[in-house]
Amino acid sequence: MDASMNEDWQDNARMIVESARAVVPADGALSRVRKARFNGLGFDPKVMQQAAELGWPLMWIGEEAGGLGLGLRETCALMEVLGRGLVPEPVLSTMMAGALLQEALPETVMTGEAVILTAWQDATGALTWQGGAEAGHLTGPKVNLRGAAGADLFAIVTGAGLAIVPRSAEGLTIETAETLDGGTMDRLHMTGVAADFLPCTQVDTVLQDATLAHSAYLLGLADRALEITLDYLRVRKQFDRPIGSFQALQHRATEMKIQLELTRAAIAATARRFDTGADVATRAAGAARCKLRAADLAMLVSREAVQMHGAMGITDEADIGLFVRKAMTEANLFGSPRQQRRLLATRLDQEEAA
Amino acid sequence: MTTLPDYNAMSDAEFRQTVRAFVETNYPDIPRYSLSRLHWDEVKPWYMVLSENGWICPTWPRDHGGMGLNAGKHLILIEEFERYGAARVNDIGPVMLGPLLLKHGTEAQKAHFLPRILSGEDVWAQGYSEPGAGSDLAAVRCEAVLDGGEWVINGQKTWCTLGMDANWIFILARTDKTVKKQAGISFLLVPMDARGVTIRNIENLELEAEFCEVFFDDVRVPADHIVGRINDGWSVAKALLGHERVFIGAPRLSAAALSRLKRIAQHSGIWDDPVFRDRYVALQCDVLDLSDLFETYVDRLRDGREIGADVAMLKIFQSELYQRISELMMQVAEEDAGLRHAPEDVRQLHAAATYLSARPTTIFGGSTEIMRNVLAKAVLDLPA
Ligand SMILES: Cc1cc2nc3c(=O)[nH]c(=O)nc-3n(C[C@H](O)[C@H](O)[C@H](O)COP(=O)(O)OP(=O)(O)OC[C@H]3O[C@@H](n4cnc5c(N)ncnc54)[C@H](O)[C@@H]3O)c2cc1C
Repeated sequence: MDASMNEDWQDNARMIVESARAVVPADGALSRVRKARFNGLGFDPKVMQQAAELGWPLMWIGEEAGGLGLGLRETCALMEVLGRGLVPEPVLSTMMAGALLQEALPETVMTGEAVILTAWQDATGALTWQGGAEAGHLTGPKVNLRGAAGADLFAIVTGAGLAIVPRSAEGLTIETAETLDGGTMDRLHMTGVAADFLPCTQVDTVLQDATLAHSAYLLGLADRALEITLDYLRVRKQFDRPIGSFQALQHRATEMKIQLELTRAAIAATARRFDTGADVATRAAGAARCKLRAADLAMLVSREAVQMHGAMGITDEADIGLFVRKAMTEANLFGSPRQQRRLLATRLDQEEAA
Repeated sequence: MTTLPDYNAMSDAEFRQTVRAFVETNYPDIPRYSLSRLHWDEVKPWYMVLSENGWICPTWPRDHGGMGLNAGKHLILIEEFERYGAARVNDIGPVMLGPLLLKHGTEAQKAHFLPRILSGEDVWAQGYSEPGAGSDLAAVRCEAVLDGGEWVINGQKTWCTLGMDANWIFILARTDKTVKKQAGISFLLVPMDARGVTIRNIENLELEAEFCEVFFDDVRVPADHIVGRINDGWSVAKALLGHERVFIGAPRLSAAALSRLKRIAQHSGIWDDPVFRDRYVALQCDVLDLSDLFETYVDRLRDGREIGADVAMLKIFQSELYQRISELMMQVAEEDAGLRHAPEDVRQLHAAATYLSARPTTIFGGSTEIMRNVLAKAVLDLPA
């Protein structure tokens, strides 16, 4: 990799982070996010429109296919900002659809007229995506989508290929459950849904990319939660001193910072490897390692943030609570820490054999 | 009032049977095993059943309308209620104010207030904390000034648990600003419907209005609505009953959470997973060892021995253990960890509900950090 390429990605990342300001206010205000909670969708369709105008669904579509052709370093930079702002819109799911479909991504999605979400997961607590197709039709569940009611189209990942179906497709029903962060977690039930299957060899790669990108979102979430907490430690006084002057709290704040920087370094290095041609095994391990630490980080920081805020941390009024509930909702998506450790454990023998 | 049997004279087994039969027979048609607190309009039928049977104030002496239970019997009562999943009633009157009045109240105060707690006519809230006075409780600024035979109260209290259900609140008020912080505080009793009292509900992390702020704007109460002497409120408030200081560290919350964890693991098919078992067994040992430590304190209570500052160890370990169990629950719940409500058939296995309800246990009743500070100084004798 030469120096100019290096600068390229940094310029692109800067630009895309800059563009995210349209969605994430620079002052960290969360009033928009708060308002979008529990509205049935859990997000604002207008912001999805904005995301399309900014070209985010085209992030992972090659330039030759009319996309932005950006890599994981740029993506992670964006996702981190979205995480800091607790952005609830299912941007990542749309990016995945673009990556899977490339030039087959419907025009209406590019223009922002339609929202497409990716449905890949076969079952809770598993990372398999090969189900869902039977005798040339879509049949079976796809689980843990977010905000499915806001989708016009689904990109359904199956072992038989990729299918684009409208939300209103015959034989498709959606079971919705509210999530802690004010959004939804949805399950698609498909019974003999007619579909054309497009061949797709990219699924594992795209899932690894998405897992890494989601880790960056959790990193951003934790980073901002720690910032808010450090501010609180500086201003909240008890016993005539800022509570941040108590060593018991200082040491735990330090521990959070160490975990945060480990996560940041792991994600940056993994994204670089992804962008510069890592092999399949390296990618799988890298995504798992980042997701594992980022999920643990988001849970640790949000938990400690509550404790350090005292009773204030137990309220819904204080913004820190939004981070707690978001971390609880997102930490186990794309494979919980348990799943990631299991995945890494199965690789130990392969490493040994190699 | 009908005279109750002398429960302390029963064998533990017999008393346990009595309690079990009581709750099974008398528990009204209200929710069981609720992780969040029920409000007065919901839980009142249970309070009234307890009241009518003379069971609402288990630790109060029998001649004051209590059951007169000793520590061992009281523990059995709590255990059996929890086993059945009986809802916790608005118990600040029975648990905090009653014992405090028995110790520091005038005869007139006891005669007036105790029966009203027993009957459920009065529901009390605790008004200690303020925005600026949490861990540093002695920093309270809510002020009371004597004027024409009345206290005139101005200021604010906050985090009052179920304060919106209460018709009375006891507060710590600043009555002398010229002396050392602890020496200028008085313990006052204020009706919530007094002119100048307003409340604002606060939603908690579970999005329920379980506590509230209370504002006092030139609120006037008679001069005799004080417990203890003027400026002696700090020592009045500090004297929490020995039982309660021990029972707050009881292993039951953790034990109940552990059994939910087990059922979540069975439900999700990982109960046999050796990795899970490794972590489960470690937590199980923590629960069992905490139970043994807890028993040593119950023995001390039974023998009438003093309970010292070291009792804080129980609360620290119990609350943090409860949290650690809830953290593992969140992990094994996989993606379902993010659900706001558990599916109907597994409602009790809702990891997030346990996780969220475990958060405040290390904050209220003396935060874990403050308790560790106390232990370090009072028990380990480390320098300031
Ligand atoms: C669910 C709930 C119910 C409650 N109900 C009531 C009620 O009914 N009535 C009532 O009066 N109050 C109630 N409280 C308030 C409770 O007593 C206070 O939350 C508690 O005293 C802590 O004060 P704080 O919230 O202001 O936190 P702070 O004192 O501001 O503490 C913030 C953080 O700093 C830490 N800290 C503070 N001082 C030190 C130190 N010296 N060394 C190390 N760390 C330190 C704390 O441990 C905490 O982590 C309730 C609280 C909760 C959460």
